[in-house]
Amino acid sequence: MSRANGTLKLEIRKVVKNFGGLQALKGVSLTIEGSQLVGLIGPNGAGKTTLTNIISGLLRPTSGQIWFNGERIDTLRPYHIARKGIGRTFQVTRAFRRMTVLENMLAPGIVKHPYMSRRELEKKALEIMEFLTIDHLRYERAGNLSGGQQKLLELARLLMLDPQLIILDEPFAGVHPKLQRTIYDYIKRVREQGKAIILISHDMESIFTLSERLVVLNFGEIIADGPPEEVKNDPAVIEAYLGRDEEEEHDLRRAY
Amino acid sequence: MEWMAPNLFPVAWMSVSSTYVIRLILEGLLIGVIYALMALGLTLIFSVLNIVSFAHGEFYMIGGYVVYVLLNKFKALPGPAALILAAVVTFTIGAVFERLFLQPMARGQVDRPSEYAILVTFGLSFVLQYIMLAIMGPFPKKAPRFFSFPKLDLGFLRTTRTTLFLGEIPLPGGRIFAAVIAVLALMAILYFMYRTWTGWALQAVSQDRNAAAVVGINPLNMNTLAFALGGMLAGLAGAVLVTVFSWVPWVGVPASAKSFVIIVLGGMGSIPGSLVGGLILGVVESLGTGFWPNPATAQAYRDVFGLIMFALVLLVKPTGLFGRKL
Amino acid sequence: MTFRRIYVLWVLTGVFLLGLLFYPVLPKVNLQSYWLLVGMTALFYAILASSWSLLAGYTGQFSFAHMAFMGLGTYAAGIMIRDWGLTPWIATIAGVLVTGVVGWLIGYLCLRLRATYLALFTIAFAEIFRLVVKAEVKITGGPNGLEMPPYQRPEAFDRLMKAILPYWDANQYVPAYYTMALLFFLSLLFMFFLVRSRFGLFFRAVREDEEAAAALGVHVVNTRVLAFVVSSMIAGLAGIVFHHFIGLVVPDEMIIGRMSLIIAMAVIGGSQNLVGAALGAIFIHFALEWLQQIPMPLPVLERLLFLESWGFSVDLQAGLLRTNAWRMVGFGILLMLTLRFAQNGLISPILDWLARKEAVEEVAKRFQAQRDMGAVDAVQPVTSPANPTDDLEAEGEKA
Ligand SMILES: Nc1ncnc2c1ncn2[C@@H]1O[C@H](COP(=O)(O)OP(=O)(O)OP(=O)(O)O)[C@@H](O)[C@H]1O
Ligand SMILES: [Mg+2]
Repeated sequence: MSRANGTLKLEIRKVVKNFGGLQALKGVSLTIEGSQLVGLIGPNGAGKTTLTNIISGLLRPTSGQIWFNGERIDTLRPYHIARKGIGRTFQVTRAFRRMTVLENMLAPGIVKHPYMSRRELEKKALEIMEFLTIDHLRYERAGNLSGGQQKLLELARLLMLDPQLIILDEPFAGVHPKLQRTIYDYIKRVREQGKAIILISHDMESIFTLSERLVVLNFGEIIADGPPEEVKNDPAVIEAYLGRDEEEEHDLRRAY
Repeated sequence: MEWMAPNLFPVAWMSVSSTYVIRLILEGLLIGVIYALMALGLTLIFSVLNIVSFAHGEFYMIGGYVVYVLLNKFKALPGPAALILAAVVTFTIGAVFERLFLQPMARGQVDRPSEYAILVTFGLSFVLQYIMLAIMGPFPKKAPRFFSFPKLDLGFLRTTRTTLFLGEIPLPGGRIFAAVIAVLALMAILYFMYRTWTGWALQAVSQDRNAAAVVGINPLNMNTLAFALGGMLAGLAGAVLVTVFSWVPWVGVPASAKSFVIIVLGGMGSIPGSLVGGLILGVVESLGTGFWPNPATAQAYRDVFGLIMFALVLLVKPTGLFGRKL
Repeated sequence: MTFRRIYVLWVLTGVFLLGLLFYPVLPKVNLQSYWLLVGMTALFYAILASSWSLLAGYTGQFSFAHMAFMGLGTYAAGIMIRDWGLTPWIATIAGVLVTGVVGWLIGYLCLRLRATYLALFTIAFAEIFRLVVKAEVKITGGPNGLEMPPYQRPEAFDRLMKAILPYWDANQYVPAYYTMALLFFLSLLFMFFLVRSRFGLFFRAVREDEEAAAALGVHVVNTRVLAFVVSSMIAGLAGIVFHHFIGLVVPDEMIIGRMSLIIAMAVIGGSQNLVGAALGAIFIHFALEWLQQIPMPLPVLERLLFLESWGFSVDLQAGLLRTNAWRMVGFGILLMLTLRFAQNGLISPILDWLARKEAVEEVAKRFQAQRDMGAVDAVQPVTSPANPTDDLEAEGEKA
């Protein structure tokens, strides 16, 4: 797998997104330079997934721009953005259910490496799948996999694109602790390869240990941005989190 | 026509032409009302079940045949009774089909529901067409007109037994009658949709299935009702037009094509969209046909204008005039 | 060597190809022009059904204009021959290109949107195209149809073929049959390789989840347009070649009822599998032909439906047409039942079952067992060999 060079730069400039009367993002600006692991947290409905969808081109921002490596990408189509090196997973897994696991892997592989032979691609796919412990399922229809295994498949599939920046939307949600460990290792390893990661999670424990920088989104606005230690003690963050629903409060207590 | 276009231009061409244009527009509106009625049925189905019925034209065809058969068999049967029976028959076909073939979809018993919906409604259209071909034969039928004007002469507005004259503009009585019935049916269905409890329930389901289910509306029953009502509206459109056009088993195909144009033009699932879209299509067709240079092929090109409009809408604004989202 | 189901498939394929090759001299056919015509029509429908299912079964898009594209290509070729004096061979290519261009335009218009729009637009396009062709008598010959001159074959070719097949010139339909058979074979082969290629992978990925495919870099619109254009061009080609042998094309071949029949053939055969759809077409065409041989007890049917009592006159011509219509109703109902209860069709599942490697099933079964024991996520990876295919092959041999 090729090492991403250090020139990576993602700039989100004053992105606003309206859904009818609802303003999901109220002018979000964020710059990610060089390979970093940025944790993105925020209560339910804060706009995290919306931001992800806008970066990957599935949604158009109402206003604002997104630049990636000196190029404006918010006007591009999703496939174009993906080929530029931004990969993402979905909060609700979206494997190609009636295709085998291997075919799921090959589709993005061919996109990225149109001239690579099938055999080589398969080898590359198997390496990734082996690391994520799903290689034995390669001829299984993806729809037959368990929810957690489908999550792993999505993570694996993503790497076939050789992305520079990876956006993971809640990879730990609804996953058995054992698999969580696998995903945790995956993130660390991908990080070591020099890729930038935006990690969205409600699992405070892993996000505090993994992220090098923490961004907090609340009601479509960034209310804190900095090293995890600082953000943790930011009064605005505590305010935003406390008094919301119990589950999150619980998460927070675990985190502190 | 002095009362419309004062003769500023001293040429006969102008006055003839403006009369002609007005006549075309009026004719377009008359037929447009019926298109709107039919498209409204499709809109109702789409907004509640979130599918397009590809058998819509066949409900139209069957509505017409029912009236034809009844009027032929029972000469004494009053026209409106035949219309009501046509409505009942098409409603029943719609309800039975929905229960048998679409309900499993809502229950999640079929794979790839959106693809299934397209094919299974198309399958229904196939079956209905050939059933009617088998029963009625391939030769064109035309129902006797069951309405004639009282003789009237109010100067500007005159009638003969079959035609109504607005000034110099002749309007065929059959179409006026059909349009009047269509307007009444439209008013009835809009009243039902907006002023009755069941209508509200239908709308509630169309806006949010789960929320509707929570407040005690059974979405499955609403599905059946919407599909049957939608089919019934197409059946009514056919029932009023069978006295105007001649009827063959595949008469529903261009009719459904028109409804498709209208719902896309108006915006899928929009009730005002299908009303306005129907009138627009009627007028555009009428004007286009009226000014087509070669009268021999003009009727064949009637539908082409709709198709061009369809393409333009898809190109420029796929959400249509009143569309919410895609 | 152990018995494997794939051998059955090979044998069946061999039998089918032999049947295809020697159909003209099969006992009942016996070089009669009627049966040769039936055979080549069946193959014509088979090409149409399988190319339709290339679009429907692999991309989940539905074109109701497949017959219209067939007609478009044929009329384009016929008109170019008549007015521009092209030779039939060149006109064939030109006609296919015309279908491709129109297909591309319609594809670009509709395929950016969800599947319903293509279905809506093509049904309107097909009907209106037919009406226009019928009306433009000066250009298209109107309802009476357009003449399609036969292909010119070099004499040497005929002599060669006669040396190979002694009955080559027994009947004008013998060369026609073989041309259709060759076209059928080649188009099926072409589509087969297309769906096995990367494009097939993209077709399916886009069908499964458009957004996920796009997020992985697949160009959704282009992928769909490609499938639509290829499928339409094959329909056009089949139409042109077929009608050059028939000698005439009429607009009513494009009626929606005919389109419905193609769809019924593809769906009943199984539109998820090109061969399944093609076999469905062949079976249904012969079934319709066979049903026509049985005198339908018309009076029984009519009385059954109390039609006489409703006072419809039953003349013989219309009566015949009606009994045929009832047969079509039967297929329509079969279509709906297939959709409802066997979405993969009636033939495809058998082919799929025969083609599926036992080893794959073995593996699947093993993991199913583990899952049933509740060890879903804790499954340890089996040691992975370097070559995935070999390892399965080996497991299959062991089993
Ligand atoms: N397609 C849409 N149409 C309308 N509203 C939407 C749409 N997508 C998101 N929203 C709204 O935008 C807001 C932000 O949603 P988003 O999914 O981005 O939140 P989130 O931060 O990902 O929440 P969660 O933690 O629950 O995943 C929500 O109020 C949601 O209802
Ligand atoms: Mg989210």
